[in-house]
Amino acid sequence: MKPVTTNFRNKAAETLEDKQIQQSIEHVYTGFFQGRLSAASETPNWEQLRSKGKEIKDHTIAHLDYYLNLLANNVQKNGGNVFFANDAEEARNHIIKIAREKDVKTVIKSKSMVSEEMGLAEAMNDEGFETVETDLGEYIIQLANETPYHLIAPAVHKSRSEVAKLLDDNFREGDPVPDANQLTMLARKKLRSVFERADMSVTGANFAVAESGSIALVTNEGNGRMTTSVPRVHVAVMGMEKVIPSIQDLSTMLRILIRSATGQRISTYVTMVNGKRSPDEEEGPVEFHLVIMNNGRDKLLRDSQTRESLNCIRCGACLNACPVYRKVGGHAYGWVYPGPIGAIVSPVLTGLKDASNLPGASSLCGACHDACPVKINIPRMLLELRYRTAEGSASKSERSSSAKERTVWKLWKIGMMGRRRFDLGSRTSGLLLRPLVRNGWMRIAPPPISGWTLTRDFPSFASKSLKARLSKRNRTSKS
Amino acid sequence: MTEKEQFISNISAALGRKTIQKPEADHRLSFFESASSINSNADQSIVDSVNRSDQLMDQMSSAAETIGWKVHHASNTEVAASIVAGICKDNNAKNVLRSAHEVLDQIVVDAAISNIGASVEVTEHQGDYSQIDVENTKIKAFAADTGITGVDYAIAETGSIVLHPRSGLSRLVSLAPPIHIAVLRPAEVIASLDELFALERSNFINDQLEGSMNIISGPSKTADIEGTTVTGIHGPLEVHLVIFKDDHIGQ
Repeated sequence: MKPVTTNFRNKAAETLEDKQIQQSIEHVYTGFFQGRLSAASETPNWEQLRSKGKEIKDHTIAHLDYYLNLLANNVQKNGGNVFFANDAEEARNHIIKIAREKDVKTVIKSKSMVSEEMGLAEAMNDEGFETVETDLGEYIIQLANETPYHLIAPAVHKSRSEVAKLLDDNFREGDPVPDANQLTMLARKKLRSVFERADMSVTGANFAVAESGSIALVTNEGNGRMTTSVPRVHVAVMGMEKVIPSIQDLSTMLRILIRSATGQRISTYVTMVNGKRSPDEEEGPVEFHLVIMNNGRDKLLRDSQTRESLNCIRCGACLNACPVYRKVGGHAYGWVYPGPIGAIVSPVLTGLKDASNLPGASSLCGACHDACPVKINIPRMLLELRYRTAEGSASKSERSSSAKERTVWKLWKIGMMGRRRFDLGSRTSGLLLRPLVRNGWMRIAPPPISGWTLTRDFPSFASKSLKARLSKRNRTSKS
Repeated sequence: MTEKEQFISNISAALGRKTIQKPEADHRLSFFESASSINSNADQSIVDSVNRSDQLMDQMSSAAETIGWKVHHASNTEVAASIVAGICKDNNAKNVLRSAHEVLDQIVVDAAISNIGASVEVTEHQGDYSQIDVENTKIKAFAADTGITGVDYAIAETGSIVLHPRSGLSRLVSLAPPIHIAVLRPAEVIASLDELFALERSNFINDQLEGSMNIISGPSKTADIEGTTVTGIHGPLEVHLVIFKDDHIGQ
């Protein structure tokens, strides 16, 4: 998926005006956010679980080289193939190569954000493989030719009438009634026939267990099970940060992931896959491939300021908690990962200069930090990235502030650093702005600060400064 | 350097070192447990579950109901078989597939299902098994209207059942047919995910897990259209849990 992170302001403004999306997106608050709160409150050791989750992730990321090596060895021991992809292109080419070699015609996909990074479904369709998303939300998005709106609810912005129209436009089977139940059943019928003929699947991996070479898939729909049971060839793709050391860590990670994502105690299906079908089994894939992708994650890892973002388990809780995401929506962020965590990951992975608006799209209220199941300090990293866009601390190419802006702040700094300069500055500004003040407020400011008063008024300077008033009062009280 | 070595050495470099560094043992992390403590954890999980069997069964039953299982109770084999046959009859079943779980033979489920006029078949292959046989198993699973299994474990904390696909337990029998019926006995219930993974850990590490493992918690569902929960998007629309506690043998 090509990043278009430069367009945040326009896309956000567009979404704010869209009444239908504003209404649909409410669900992330009323459904997911409230669901997480009640799940957390009924879990007696919730805070301990979060701490444990953070401990597991901190430990794994600090020894990522060791655990990835162990994971790869164990997958191979189980009879699977491992491919290390440095970037999305390598991963995509490798998967297409597998499909060609295995004479594949139909590919079924279960939801995977990493495959979105690769733009995999689109690329495979272009190569002539019928490639179908099977998560209902992803399926809707694929029919609409859009990108996911939310980490766990890709089509959360669509109304049921829109879904009905999409299905009608694509299949022309009577007039689908805009009813969630009937639409879901129509999708079941359509996707069933694809499942039955599929010969290859591509899934993500919610977790990959190093000590056993297993992957864990969490779904409610059952597409994770279908995709790992029916086709001849199963390819799982994962970002390199998804590894965890031990099978026992899963009880902690599953608990915090699922409660934080949907508020359930457990999802309908948790599927553990240890590779291909064993000879005793009735069915299952005859080949298993694991693709482990970097695609810029080493930049997050190398930098001690952003390393913590690799602890993310993609539950979406920070999106649901974020007052900005809940208004500007998922598409404004311009890449695979929206919301607070996306505002950190996208700029580093796709280039901070283009994505300079993303770290600013936060009120720094800290709701994301409170919601995160592994306690990632998102606001701290947002501030760090804001600093870099202004100052370009790591490299000048990251800097997106204009020379004019930097000069203004330099002058401001000089002005604020000395008492006399401050007094002189505030007195001059007060005098200069006085002609524009009506009833104590300046409604329209002159350039270059005119943008500031587009959406708010500026109070006039007091006729006497606090210091002047205090010294006058002291003089009068003494006499 | 192979592609793998290159990839991993890049990660080592990002972490500020030249080569892979083995983590120091950390007693807080189960990864560093010895083989003997892994085994004793597994044994302890069984002992705990047996000791609390009655309590766990009650918890299981109510947790299962909450997440959408239709729960039935049977006090002897005849009742269990007639409940299963009754569900098949209510849904006008014609084409039933079942696993080779021992409990299904114990309650003589085949005869009861035949009596209502449905066909019943066990998905279990014998001897040589080709890719064509695999394809046929899949076709049968997609054609069936009801799938019946026992359970390998049940988790009281979440109301889930656990199935390990293997010879005699197809991956699809609990997934493809619109109705799934699972028959559960008290000895199979354990307390939580912690016990499950403690029990299974040595199997996972020693590669004794065949292919895959499923934790199943209610009917297939989605809320991808306007947040409205609908059951039966890809898997069963309806799932039944028959809790079979044989009073005669005083379990």
